[in-house]
Amino acid sequence: MKALVVDDSLTIRRIVIKALGLVGITDAREAADGAEALKATQEQDFDLILLDWNMPKLTGIETLRALRQAGKKTPVIMVTTEAEKSRVIEAIKTGANDYLIKPFSPDQLAAKVKNVIGAPAGT
Amino acid sequence: MDVSYINPFIEAVDTVFNTMLSVKPRRNGVKVSDGQARGELITSLVGISGQVSGVVALRFPPPTALKLAGKLLGSEADTISDEVTDAIAELVNMVAGSAKAKFQFDPPLELGLPTVVHGTGYRLKYPTRSVWLEVPFSSDAGEFSMEVTYNPN
Repeated sequence: MKALVVDDSLTIRRIVIKALGLVGITDAREAADGAEALKATQEQDFDLILLDWNMPKLTGIETLRALRQAGKKTPVIMVTTEAEKSRVIEAIKTGANDYLIKPFSPDQLAAKVKNVIGAPAGT
Repeated sequence: MDVSYINPFIEAVDTVFNTMLSVKPRRNGVKVSDGQARGELITSLVGISGQVSGVVALRFPPPTALKLAGKLLGSEADTISDEVTDAIAELVNMVAGSAKAKFQFDPPLELGLPTVVHGTGYRLKYPTRSVWLEVPFSSDAGEFSMEVTYNPN
């Protein structure tokens, strides 16, 4: 199981990667903005993408739109400070599979991941 | 002056610090800020724009910043490294994001990207018409403060 963690904050990438470990996902690649994320998805396939909204170069919603327009069906969980209902609706309409609002606990993130991809064996 | 706009930001500090850091901040009043850093301070700021515009700043003495960054990153830090700066920037980002959602503007307010300033005795200069409110906090991780300005457009 391979995950792509996209956030311009190193801190959040670390927290997310640690939380992924709770559901047995230990193979995670990092991207610091949407452009890096799109490049990564062209280089390899992922089973899950965790995507911030506010990032330089290419925002999370622009990245999500580009992924879906390119035919990528990889499950995407938005992990963002954007907490307004209209933002959540916009993300889901654009193709996000789930939405997690910062701040979050590792258990909350793990639950979202399980909900989207199912619980990996042994967790 | 209506100071009620500060309340969503105070609630946001409480939520972010409890959820991400397991730290319970204790608020010590509200006052008008003069912007002056007393001693060495690390200040993280983020702009808010839309139907209102403003700035949210969190100001930490280095020992508090190191403790909070250590809690976020899961490892102790002993100098104000890039990693510590990133963690402090993310704190103000989450506080501003959590607060702006409480205002329920449509379209939602937009957040800028956080900036961090680190130095001794510097002063944040505010535009003339801005009033900055300062909320000092104490916590098990040390003292810190939040400063907010918020103007309708």
